Amino acid sequence: MQVTTFEQVNETIYHEKLPNGLRVYLLPKTGFSKTYAVFTTRYGSIDSHFRAGGEETIVPDGIAHFLEHKLFEKKDRDVFQDFSRNGASSNAFTSFNRTAYLFSSTEQVVENLNTLLDFVQDPYFSDQSVEKEKGIIGQEIQMYDDNPDWKVYMNLLKALYQKHPVRIEIAGTIESISRITKEALYRCYETFYHPGNMLLFVVGAIDPEQIMQVIRDNQARKQFPPVPRIERFFPEEPGEVGMKRIEHHLPVGLPKCLIGYKETNLGLTGQALLKQELTTKLVLEILFGTSSVLYQKLYDSGLITESFDFDYTAETAYAYSLLGGDTPDPDELVKVLNGEVERILEQGISTEDFERSRRKKIGQFLRALNSVEYIANQFTSYKFNETDLFDVLPVLESITLDDANRRLREHFQPEQQAVSIVRSASTKEQPF
Amino acid sequence: MSVPIPEIAFETTQVNGLNLHVLPAKKFKTTTIVVCIEQALSEENVTKTALLAHVLKRATARFPDSKQLREHLDFLYGAVFDVDVAKKGERQILQVYLELPQEQYLSAETALLEQAIQFVGDVLLRPYLENGVFAEKYILSEKEALRKRIESVVDDKIKYANQRITEEMCKGEPFALLVYGRVEDLPAISGENLYRYWKELIARNPIDIFVVGDVEQKQIEEYIGRHLAIERGLAKQLPPLAVQKQVSEIREVIDQLDVTQGKLNIGCRTHVTYRDDDYPALVMANGVLGGFPHSKLFINVREKASLAYYAVSRLESHKGVLMMMAGIDAANYEKAVSIMKEQLQLVRDGNISEMELAQTKATIVNQYRELMDSARMMIEFTYNGRLSGRRRTLSELLRQIQDIGIEEIRRVADKVQIDTIYLLRDRKGGA
Repeated sequence: MQVTTFEQVNETIYHEKLPNGLRVYLLPKTGFSKTYAVFTTRYGSIDSHFRAGGEETIVPDGIAHFLEHKLFEKKDRDVFQDFSRNGASSNAFTSFNRTAYLFSSTEQVVENLNTLLDFVQDPYFSDQSVEKEKGIIGQEIQMYDDNPDWKVYMNLLKALYQKHPVRIEIAGTIESISRITKEALYRCYETFYHPGNMLLFVVGAIDPEQIMQVIRDNQARKQFPPVPRIERFFPEEPGEVGMKRIEHHLPVGLPKCLIGYKETNLGLTGQALLKQELTTKLVLEILFGTSSVLYQKLYDSGLITESFDFDYTAETAYAYSLLGGDTPDPDELVKVLNGEVERILEQGISTEDFERSRRKKIGQFLRALNSVEYIANQFTSYKFNETDLFDVLPVLESITLDDANRRLREHFQPEQQAVSIVRSASTKEQPF
Repeated sequence: MSVPIPEIAFETTQVNGLNLHVLPAKKFKTTTIVVCIEQALSEENVTKTALLAHVLKRATARFPDSKQLREHLDFLYGAVFDVDVAKKGERQILQVYLELPQEQYLSAETALLEQAIQFVGDVLLRPYLENGVFAEKYILSEKEALRKRIESVVDDKIKYANQRITEEMCKGEPFALLVYGRVEDLPAISGENLYRYWKELIARNPIDIFVVGDVEQKQIEEYIGRHLAIERGLAKQLPPLAVQKQVSEIREVIDQLDVTQGKLNIGCRTHVTYRDDDYPALVMANGVLGGFPHSKLFINVREKASLAYYAVSRLESHKGVLMMMAGIDAANYEKAVSIMKEQLQLVRDGNISEMELAQTKATIVNQYRELMDSARMMIEFTYNGRLSGRRRTLSELLRQIQDIGIEEIRRVADKVQIDTIYLLRDRKGGA
């Protein structure tokens, strides 16, 4: 077991790669009552075209999320029952590139950890239960269809990306899930749920030696084939955005408007990816944060509300920034924003704004470390890109004003922009 | 294996007529400060309180414009700052929230904590004024912001359905009010009358200040004494925390909107609130009914009937409202209502297995113990006790939960009355 200490943030992490390929990370949190464990496979909604050993396979959209639902159901019981009996709260989520199974509990941690490992590593799918799940997930899909914040976000990705499956709904559609079968679920499971493709993170009130032994023993009891070589196929994505503008109608109080910039500098991993991510987020903070000239101007003019927010997503194969929120006038908002971005592109970022925003980012990171959920999920997500969560602070401190100005000019290219709007069907007839 | 039961042990003192509660805790990387001002939820004041929260957040005497104020927060290492309102029973709570990193994690930083408390004092007691009243420009801009916020309640259909059923179910009771207030009240509010309202609020209404972090009680007391210097008399007596009403007949309300999924809510009056001896039994009853994925609603509405993705029940502890909720296809309305009513009846009949009892205890106890890892949740727990006038320690509540049997759940569930059945549905079907 390897031990790494990060003195600046006063955290120690214990790590081991087991013989079956599973990577295990443990982080004891002194004084905490609960333990949070998350068991993640590097497999999400975008991985629908692949080959592992055998023949090339294309599966229906939404199958990773469907599989996540179905792993909780066993021949004789529902796994939620086991967790509840031991006082754990359990859940799972599927994103574009990960599926994660998790629990948190303040007692019976060893039992719950064994339950987590065992249920994820023992699938049971039947024709009947697959059919039954289609009704439940159908309702989940409809719930998202009615959610304007989700819709404006997914539509932005549809506009930014022409081919890449990040533009497809994580849960798929009612039509695509209707084509999911038990056989397809097994095929995906066998490809992507090998321990060599997974990572286990446990954080909280734990004794690392004891917990590592529990995990070793649990894994030693099971047989796995050798680590498969997984090939994932993605369509060639053009650099340009697919649509400049996309609009959708849903009943909302105010229109929602999200503006996105599609990244051109792709293919990064490790430190380089982390630095690009943190630099871009810092630039976003400088340009659009609550203390920026632009934010105050937009707020004072009533063009934005407190819902205004921004973020940057950085993956090796796709990356984008987005900003926006509720606005009475999406077109005017886009116009003012573009004018201001153009001005900053000319003038560059000032030292003062740069230092102040970096200070804010450092504080945000420290605050995030209070959350065991954040630590576990962010660490895992970074690890899949060969990046380390605990490099955030040193990398943040290493960013220079020049880096920020370079990133500003590289990322905020007008032709890389797309706009997504959701408004009520009647908004145009009844202006505010 | 038994684990010692921890406590949430704030030390409470009085400083300048304010109730100060301090909890030293080394495990967090931040210090959290929350100020709660208690006000009766009423038609007369609801919009004023909500607008006041917005206006106080904009500027202070020391930071007259919002950009300066926000820059100061960045300087405090991106301190999270918010002023907002929350509804608890028939109370509207105005809350100031500030969270900032502990100095020890920042090289060569000192006095951040005192600056933070000074800032909280600025926001509450030293607002930005023009001609002795709140500045017109901020009043105008925040009226607009509040109006947009009220109108945007429709965006989240689950929250919207909840607000709509609450309005219908509690018509005529203060609890029906949206905590952000009413658009029609906005025109009558001015910088001057809001200023008078603020004066009265900070002079007379109960104020509680909570601080959690690696702090010393004496030090905090000193800072509060210095930066929140205020003349206060005895705190005002507010009307009852919640009025209770018997249900005479079950009402059915259907709203139509351009939605895909129907939102079904069944609102019940429990006649039990946080301060009652029966409260722990009610928490258990709600848990058995719909609090968890092992609960009756999840198993029967979702897993067996495949009608919904979410099917839950939630408790509002101070008013004593139990809300069953599910997202369904509107065509399955009757079927879903019938299954949900049946689940409530099973709990009323005491038709609960030993396994359900054990699972519900274990998960509820876990939920309460997890509070200990969140400064905000520990504050909330303690404030609920203060507000209701019934202070249970965490260990007391956990012991009470452990002692509850099926008979006590049956008895408390038997008091639960369905009041209103509400459906938010598409425009296609007949209403």
